Amino acid sequence: MNKRYVMVHDENKCIGCQACNVACRSENGTPEGVTRLQVRVEGPFGQAPNLHFKYHRVSCQQCEDAPCVKVCPTGAAYVGEDGIVTIKEDKCVGCMYCVAACPYKVRFVNPETKATDKCNFCKDTRLARGELPACVTVCPTDALTFGDANEPDSEVAKLLNTKPSYQDKIHLGTKPRIYRIPTKRGGIES
Amino acid sequence: MNNIWGDMAQYDPVTWNWVIAVYLFMAGLSAGSVLIGIGMRWYSKDKLTESPILKAAAIIGPVAISLGLACLVFDLTKPFHFWVILVNYNFQSVMALGVLALLVYTPLGIAYGLIVLRDELPKWGLGFLSPVAEMLTGWRKAIEVVLFVLAVGVGAYTGFLISAMNAYPMLNTAVLPALFLVSGLSAGAAANSVVALLMFKVDSHDKELSRMHALELPVMATEIMFLFMLFCALYFKGGAAAVALASLTTGVWAGVFWIGVVGIGFGVPLLSMLMPAATRHTKGAMLMVACSGLTGVLALRHFILYAGQSYIY
Repeated sequence: MNKRYVMVHDENKCIGCQACNVACRSENGTPEGVTRLQVRVEGPFGQAPNLHFKYHRVSCQQCEDAPCVKVCPTGAAYVGEDGIVTIKEDKCVGCMYCVAACPYKVRFVNPETKATDKCNFCKDTRLARGELPACVTVCPTDALTFGDANEPDSEVAKLLNTKPSYQDKIHLGTKPRIYRIPTKRGGIES
Repeated sequence: MNNIWGDMAQYDPVTWNWVIAVYLFMAGLSAGSVLIGIGMRWYSKDKLTESPILKAAAIIGPVAISLGLACLVFDLTKPFHFWVILVNYNFQSVMALGVLALLVYTPLGIAYGLIVLRDELPKWGLGFLSPVAEMLTGWRKAIEVVLFVLAVGVGAYTGFLISAMNAYPMLNTAVLPALFLVSGLSAGAAANSVVALLMFKVDSHDKELSRMHALELPVMATEIMFLFMLFCALYFKGGAAAVALASLTTGVWAGVFWIGVVGIGFGVPLLSMLMPAATRHTKGAMLMVACSGLTGVLALRHFILYAGQSYIY
């Protein structure tokens, strides 16, 4: 695997507008009631008048060591050549082991296909055409950056090299590939 | 409340529900019953007559696992594609290994049942199966050994299945497979005595029956110890793991644990030992104790599955 697709969510720039959420639904034809991507607006935190919100992106973390792939009995959940965790719909019987095993709770059963579903970075549609994932393209504040982190000149590589970032639940050893740039609120830094 | 980001229903951490708890119970019961049946036959000096306990195990083993598997299949979102799971294997997956074990265990359990019940078959109008039973009898020893080993595997597998998920602190512990194996043994012993008493009209003072009864106390003690170890591990790990201990004091699953598992599952059988021997060995008392044991193990599977999934790292 020479590619390492990652996504960076800059929580400073995010305004929680859900444009990414809507674009994802429309691109992937996500049925009513289920979702591949949400940006949860958490808060407010702090003391008035200095209140702030947190914008927490909830979507597949594209783990390098994915629990869902390990537990899938049929190999329906697999890691592709490009490193992206995907589901082969016809191999999935719907045992829900992956849904249960996912520490990020981002897998769901698609009510139309009855197979499990989740974000795959628009692998079969936009990525296949050489375009960026729908959420990245549509983001009005450019809070999302997507690309190959193994490519030193890529935007994501530069971003991760210059800004502090964190990943969710790294203590579980899943090595998620969604990086988050935490909100920086005022104050003086040396 | 309506969120700007949409529906939250799919984010419920409880993915596997009571149907899976019943499956885990049935698999444990089947394995436990077979282990006790075969184990007692090996231990017994009389190898020629089939004891009522072995006959009971010969029925419970295949029937319980078949009912359990039926639960499992109908819980799939694509039940009619269940065969896909039989032809594709990911050897990293505990479930795939379990499917392989069950694929051998289930038919072998049926074969062993036919061997043990060969004299019973004509009485039940199943005489046409007698030639099959005759044919299999030559393979008895081999079937028995393989079935015993697979039963240990199936009993522990139900625990490994849910302990493989590192998202849940209460499930992701090494003691769970051991706990499920021993609680399966106690369910197996209880079910064996119910079937032996009701179907094979064994005398409640039967020697084999009391020998099996004698096993129950050490098995239960081991079970209590494993449960204690599970909670201790959570307590000392701290953080999100220790938070999961709240399932012992709050919510509906605390009730299921203290009333179902501790009160009915452990309390009733232990208190029954205080009854005078004459009362304790009546058929009614033995049935009551066995049924409360079964209820306790069923409650334990529900408690572990639901409480375990309710707390996520």
